[in-house]
Amino acid sequence: MSRKAVAPLAFLVALALLAAFPQVVRAGNIVNLGCLVLLYIALASSWNILGGYTGQTNLGHAAFFGLGTLATRLLWLSGKPLWLSLLASGGLAVAFALLIGLPAFRLRGAYFAIGTLALAQILYLTVGNVFPMLSALPTEVLATYQLAPRYYLFLGVAALTVATSYLLVNSRLGLGMMAVREEEDAAESLGVGALKHKLVALTASAFLAGLAGGSFAYYHVGYYPQLPFSPVWTFDTVMIAYIGGTGTIVGPIVGAAFYVIVKEYLALKLVDLHLIVFGILFIIVVLFLPGGLADVWTQLQQALARRRRKLAVAAAHRGPASDQPGE
Amino acid sequence: MLEIEGVDAFYGDLQALWGVSLRIEEGELVALIGPNGAGKTTTLQVISGLLPPASGRIRFRGHDVTRERPDRIVAMGISQVPEGGRVFTGMTVLENLELGAFLPEARRDKAESLKRVFRIFPRLEERKAQRAGTLSGGERQMLAIGRALMSKPKLLLLDEPSFGLAPLLVEQIFAMITEINAQGVTILLVEQNVRAALELTQRAYVLENGRIVGQGSGNELLSFESVRRAYLG
Amino acid sequence: MLISLAQNVVSGILVGALYGLAAVGLSLTFGVTKFLNVAHGELLMLGGYASFWAFTTLGMDPFLTLPSTIVFMVLIGALLYKLLFSRMVKLTEDVKVKNTMLIAFGLSLILQNVALRLWTADDRSITTSYSGVALSMLGVRLPVVRLASLVVAFVCLMALHLFLQRTYTGKAIRATVEDWAAATLVGIDIHKVYLESFILGALLAGVAGALVSVGYSIVPTMGLEWTLIALVVMVLGGLGSIMGTFVGGIILGVTQSVTSYFAGGTYREVVGLLIFLLVLVFRPQGLFGTKQG
Repeated sequence: MSRKAVAPLAFLVALALLAAFPQVVRAGNIVNLGCLVLLYIALASSWNILGGYTGQTNLGHAAFFGLGTLATRLLWLSGKPLWLSLLASGGLAVAFALLIGLPAFRLRGAYFAIGTLALAQILYLTVGNVFPMLSALPTEVLATYQLAPRYYLFLGVAALTVATSYLLVNSRLGLGMMAVREEEDAAESLGVGALKHKLVALTASAFLAGLAGGSFAYYHVGYYPQLPFSPVWTFDTVMIAYIGGTGTIVGPIVGAAFYVIVKEYLALKLVDLHLIVFGILFIIVVLFLPGGLADVWTQLQQALARRRRKLAVAAAHRGPASDQPGE
Repeated sequence: MLEIEGVDAFYGDLQALWGVSLRIEEGELVALIGPNGAGKTTTLQVISGLLPPASGRIRFRGHDVTRERPDRIVAMGISQVPEGGRVFTGMTVLENLELGAFLPEARRDKAESLKRVFRIFPRLEERKAQRAGTLSGGERQMLAIGRALMSKPKLLLLDEPSFGLAPLLVEQIFAMITEINAQGVTILLVEQNVRAALELTQRAYVLENGRIVGQGSGNELLSFESVRRAYLG
Repeated sequence: MLISLAQNVVSGILVGALYGLAAVGLSLTFGVTKFLNVAHGELLMLGGYASFWAFTTLGMDPFLTLPSTIVFMVLIGALLYKLLFSRMVKLTEDVKVKNTMLIAFGLSLILQNVALRLWTADDRSITTSYSGVALSMLGVRLPVVRLASLVVAFVCLMALHLFLQRTYTGKAIRATVEDWAAATLVGIDIHKVYLESFILGALLAGVAGALVSVGYSIVPTMGLEWTLIALVVMVLGGLGSIMGTFVGGIILGVTQSVTSYFAGGTYREVVGLLIFLLVLVFRPQGLFGTKQG
């Protein structure tokens, strides 16, 4: 089997398994956890396109997510079909992204980061002011509420996000994005339009995060419209991406699963301890493990391969006679 | 006093020095000459601890200073006047000089050192309350040398003190350098201006493309292609 | 009513002084080390809780415990620097700014949640015997506590200015900001300068926090808000000018108050963030900046 076929195959297998999951596991709270993992996969993967592959640390990701929730919640609850609402969610997020993209990309590095943070914060505060009332699903909807469709929607969005990441990364655009990440000025001088690549990454990132937001709006029974705009969503996303490994496909997935499981486990014991643990892990990753958990896995593989090679070379030097027992 | 043996230095993957070796005895005024880009500044960076060598050894008065921290190297008695002087433009002349005596040992003798510097560079005393950014090129160079002197160095490294200065100023500065040497400070002078350098000193090393290609007195050095070109070109 | 507006302006000035104090700490650290410490707000919070703790457990007046709060912050600053940031010194500027930002972000989560566990999510405030006392001038109410805080903030910044201008350590810091290579050639230990700058930043944040705890209120989640305020004012004032940053703080304070008066409570924060974005994009050196932002 060719190496290139491994990843898509693994993807389809995983997809099949995940699709079967809610049919096999009936417990509502576990399927719920599954929803959360998939949501975080979608968020972290979409962030990764701009933050991990293009190297632009976006601390305003919650804005795209939040706008997505707004669009779907408003449209869907007013009777519009779900697919249309979701599309609008993606669209609204993209519209916002393009609006702020050009001025925002005038800022570089950490200034871009705090600039996007400020922007998202403005949205958070404004939405809290404009939509202060709790948004609850009306009784007719509640009566027919089923978790499974929500799960499949999250699965679909997560799958779409991961697939988009994969396709982008393996395309010429992806090469350009990574060139921008490594050495923006050098890339520019080689003819790689830095701004264009950043905007493409931003658009993809925003659209997918918007879809995630739409899914969230379809899923959550009652919440304050301000909530999805909270910087907490961005921070969770960024942490997951870093701990899992930015700039990889697998990283956000591993990070998301890790995050939700550890959070669940620690929540059983002490309420916010998981944040302290993740804070520490995050710092460790930044200081010592820049590739995150995904990199730990790769480094293990490389270390094992090196060991195998060394043993093979040593055996070859000893010669065939040494294979005889009792030598 | 200073012994450099087989130093290789890299900027990232780019090798800048290949097996550079030289020695300077106490009280000497030695020049390191060579064309632009030969690695002269790099050599000084390595001595001052700003660029760790990939291999080789540097010994100063018997101590191994190869991997020493730059501020410790100053404390041991080596001061560098970097290219262009690099005075602190936001501070006054006096503040610059005072900062030169930053190290505790130098700080103790600050008043005395100041008098000494003002004697060599009277113009600095005139301008002592002025912001260094308002000084002319020549005055800044003097200030930079004065600042280095404030740390009471045993060995003074000068990186192209004549650069960008009018010939008359160059003569003045070089006269001051001679006087400093006469007062007992060993000097390693890096210069592109070969004629001026060879006038000051009898012994020079020639650095070309990161390698020491020879050393000797003025006449001996004329046999080198680059030196000849510098004289005639 | 004009008196009401005047009251708002005065309130804005009083809180703006604390904004300025908080921002100067961040500006100093960032200007020297290029560490973008987004946990600055959490350091401020720690200073506030240190002061609060001394008041509730030992019954000591918060203005009198400022020296001990300062000592506490110096220790915390040194510890955090050695543990987390000292490795970052040698990196190139872009990487340094980004990585320290990320580390500080992780730190802010840790500090926030540790504080939550220790002190719960309730707002806390120090109420002294004179907390309710206020001067009255032309119909405008000037709470004594906040006036005293203004004075303390101003004195701190004056002290900082003198420190940077007159002492060897201060001059070493200034020299390092200007030209770190030339600074090492003079015998200045850059690592020490970085440590000192970081400690100074933490110290100023802590003092600001202590003043906030007595004049306003503190809560473990206040970090993000104050970090953003410090960032806004730092960018607004511009790097390299203590007084400029202080004035920037007052400008923000007054702008917030006036906005609140005309447009309601939530928008007071929004206006600050908008100013921040505008300055970042169109005038990054700020109003009074002397160096590149």
